[in-house]
Amino acid sequence: MRRMKWGNVYLIFVFIILYTPIFYLLFYSFNSGGTMHHFKGFTLEWYREVFHDTRLLLIVLNTLIVALFSSLISTVFGVIGALAIYYVKSWRVKQALLTLNNVLIVSPDVIIGASFLILFTLAGIQLGFVSVLLSHIAFSVPIVVLMVLPKLQEMSPTWVDAARDLGANEWHILTRVVLPFITPGIFAGFFMALTYSLDDFAVTFFVTGNGFSTLSVEIYSRARQGISLSINALSTLLFLLTVVLVAGYYWISRKGSRLYGMWKK
Amino acid sequence: MRKLVQSFIAVLVVAFLLLYVSNRLNEAEGDAGDHTLVVYNWGDYIDPKLITMFEKQTGLKVIYQTFDSNEAMMAKIAQGGTTFDVAVPSEYAISKMKEEGLLLPLDHAKLPNLKYIDPRFLNLSFDPDNRYSVPYFWGTVGIVYNRDMLGGKKITSWNDLWDKTLRNQILLVDGAREVMGMALNSLHYSLNDTNKAHLEEAKRKLDALTPNVKAIVGDEIKMLIANEEAAVGVVWSGDAAEMIAENDKLDYVVPKEGSNLWFDNMVIPKTAKNIEGAHQFINFMLDPKHAAQNAEYVGYATPNAKAMKYLPKEMIEDKRFYPDFNKIGHLEVYKNLGKRMLAYYNELFLQFKMHRK
Repeated sequence: MRRMKWGNVYLIFVFIILYTPIFYLLFYSFNSGGTMHHFKGFTLEWYREVFHDTRLLLIVLNTLIVALFSSLISTVFGVIGALAIYYVKSWRVKQALLTLNNVLIVSPDVIIGASFLILFTLAGIQLGFVSVLLSHIAFSVPIVVLMVLPKLQEMSPTWVDAARDLGANEWHILTRVVLPFITPGIFAGFFMALTYSLDDFAVTFFVTGNGFSTLSVEIYSRARQGISLSINALSTLLFLLTVVLVAGYYWISRKGSRLYGMWKK
Repeated sequence: MRKLVQSFIAVLVVAFLLLYVSNRLNEAEGDAGDHTLVVYNWGDYIDPKLITMFEKQTGLKVIYQTFDSNEAMMAKIAQGGTTFDVAVPSEYAISKMKEEGLLLPLDHAKLPNLKYIDPRFLNLSFDPDNRYSVPYFWGTVGIVYNRDMLGGKKITSWNDLWDKTLRNQILLVDGAREVMGMALNSLHYSLNDTNKAHLEEAKRKLDALTPNVKAIVGDEIKMLIANEEAAVGVVWSGDAAEMIAENDKLDYVVPKEGSNLWFDNMVIPKTAKNIEGAHQFINFMLDPKHAAQNAEYVGYATPNAKAMKYLPKEMIEDKRFYPDFNKIGHLEVYKNLGKRMLAYYNELFLQFKMHRK
């Protein structure tokens, strides 16, 4: 009983630390004073400003578009990559591939960004939407691989054998046995890639150009003049959107688990 | 599998929907296509209404991009891969960019509004005859201080900072040239001094200041001083204007021994595609009415002599941000000291930063 109590206190403490900055920011988005340190009065002025700033809205849209496309494409590549690593026979090669995959995850964003900048300019690719999308795909693929691979290793090989015994061909094995089993891993990879892409600053900073920009880069360059509270308002809106998305995801997965019994994993 | 495919199609639909909305928004903003002009400027350093006005007037679509430091901007331009038609670097960056061949010469015939610029701001050492650049905003380096926290004491000179009563009260910006310049000025030397004996002397003088220095900080200096964490700060005039807007107990002074005068200037980088449009844009910004509107929005001082007419009186009469003509004599522009001398400045500044109280 006593231990439980302390555990709860600890948990509450952790959540306070995690959520205080967000609520602090959220609170001041309603400040008519215009600064982050004296709350003068309630206003919706900053929200109005966000919706009137078409450039800012465009940047938000760009950020979302890049995030969705890049995580989708990298999920496809990542799943194929994970399957390839899983089916490699030689243990040595498998380890080598995994290590190479992990190196990309650990290596600093600044280095990835700088090398992409050099690569794109050498290849004559105009910096902009395409370059940002390509680099986001590139840093997301290893993450998806890492999320999908454990699921594959969890899968019992006897399932595949059984399916083959029952006369399934390779395509059937893939689509009816393997993919359904690793679906939770695929979704996890997709959402991981999505969040990575949404909040990436360092890589994007190097490869944006020609009028294309994402939110993190934009906020950073606005910081020189002191961040306007409209950024707070925008962050609040994005935070609420994520809460809604997470709730939706949770609801779908609950419903799904009742219907198919496959989301419980 | 079906679930997977369904989800992916749903995500794709959402993504394309967003893409459609963004394209529509883009079109609503103006005509996309060949008639674009890319402006590369500091964050929040132009009145957005002026961009709209310019677009209406010329039919060009402006893509406004921002950077946060001269170095980042230069790296992007040197690397190529992007089009920038107009950029706004500071003066020392201009001499560097000139050396590296990153700038295109200006066609003065296409900039008739150049005549409105105050002659004090033309033909300066970093760009003789304004072959590559025209001034955009200017300002000084000075001291911002909190009257209440100093008990009504006034600060007028750099040497006031060495006062014993200011112990642990001063914040400095983290810039080698700013801080070394301050020490050189306090000794009545030029802030472009290259005499090593003078520089050593300035460094020793800085060491004597250490007990008074609370911290050497970056951009957060604005917030710290506005929140009264320290009574005195050595800052750029634009930052000071912002702090004063937030806290009316603050005052700004350009020390009487002299100080640094800085400029941000419009240039056309070598990456420019729409050179005609770039000239149009620069000329547009040089128009007195537009310059005034911009100065009012951004809060820095305009170099446009005629624009003064359109600015509110209390703004241009504020001697702190629009110092007198005769006072300007004390102010010096940074010269490009060359790599080795700059390294020496940095070395001395680093030694000062490491000096113990």
